[in-house]
Amino acid sequence: MTKKGETKAGLYKETLLAGLWRENPVFRLLLGMCPTLAVTAAVKPAFTMGCCVIFVLFCSNIVVSLMRNLLKPHLRILMFTLTIATFVTIADLYLKAFVPDMSETLGPYVPLIIVNCIIICRAEACASKNGLAVSIIDAVGMGIGFTLTLCLLAGVRELLATGAVCEIAILPLLKEDGWFVPWAAMSMPVGAFITLGLMLGLVNLLSKSKS
Amino acid sequence: MYKIKHFFQQSWLLIVTSFAFGLLIAVANARWSDEIEWNKTEKLNRLSGALLPEARLELYAEVEIELDKGKKREVKLREAVSRAGDRVGWTFEAAGSGFQDKIELVIALDKDLKTIVGYKVLSCNETPGFGDQIKDPYLREQFEDAPIGKFKPVKRGEGDPEKIDSEIVTITGATVSSEAVVNIFNAYVEKVKGKIEELVQKQKEQISDDKEG
Repeated sequence: MTKKGETKAGLYKETLLAGLWRENPVFRLLLGMCPTLAVTAAVKPAFTMGCCVIFVLFCSNIVVSLMRNLLKPHLRILMFTLTIATFVTIADLYLKAFVPDMSETLGPYVPLIIVNCIIICRAEACASKNGLAVSIIDAVGMGIGFTLTLCLLAGVRELLATGAVCEIAILPLLKEDGWFVPWAAMSMPVGAFITLGLMLGLVNLLSKSKS
Repeated sequence: MYKIKHFFQQSWLLIVTSFAFGLLIAVANARWSDEIEWNKTEKLNRLSGALLPEARLELYAEVEIELDKGKKREVKLREAVSRAGDRVGWTFEAAGSGFQDKIELVIALDKDLKTIVGYKVLSCNETPGFGDQIKDPYLREQFEDAPIGKFKPVKRGEGDPEKIDSEIVTITGATVSSEAVVNIFNAYVEKVKGKIEELVQKQKEQISDDKEG
């Protein structure tokens, strides 16, 4: 492999990994807080939301990257919003057609992906300045990073709120002769804020000790 | 001329992509609209079944009713029939503006068109935890067995939510959404009742004409 090839491979790897940790959209960039707080009461809706974001991010990054040389600076945000809104509408229609119960659970939060800062941020910071390959890898990395974070947050909340994750009982409930008393607050917005706050603290602690 | 040329120079990409994306959404919608409609019908049947259990729903008629401000709307009237073949009630879909978006309800009336059996929310995009409380029993139960007529929304403390009357105590934190539900009832119920009575009367006359004939 040539040196140029090695540099490219390194760039791709770095771009992919950035979304998972160094520039994780939730833990490091603090973007997309609305779905992070709203749909993380259970793992299934969090995972579905993550998949929708991956799809929208992937498609919008491809489109923005392809037309980056044609974009007029003063119209670029309008173009990004138009592109994002199209793919969000398609994702919303798909959920309504094939996963209607989940579509109802997520409610307005799927259409609200249009105003999710992660997607517009990646269009502006990455796709509009880089080629197709980097934009796709960035979308995948950021999307997976966002989905994993959402699922992690949802997993903790669902476990403490119900004693189960994805309907699989993990902690024996007191009412079923076990010891665990579910924390109802964890399924409420307050639970989302507390869990996110603690996780952000933990991530900061880990980053500090690493550096 | 220069202005038009400048406009197209600046915005051609926006215009082209708008058409392309519009086409993409139209294709997706055409491809999946049957599934979406089927899911909606299935949900409607499920909710209607919950309002009038052990009854079979049959489409009775599609009527046009005139809402406030001259707006017209097609309403599908469904007749709920018991296993013995007796009529046990009526259901129909109704919609109105909520706090954020359109609220769609399925409303059930009793067979004599005197009282409301209840309602269920078919779709709403109201704020989760606030406006979407219109799905909860607190508001729904205030309509159950209430006499058909105009309803009046009142704030908590000004009325009794336990009392079945024309006063509906709104939900604190979801006042606009509660009022939207009341407005939907006020816009539809009496007009739908009038249409049903008209249709039933016509049916009776036709039956007696056939017998005489």
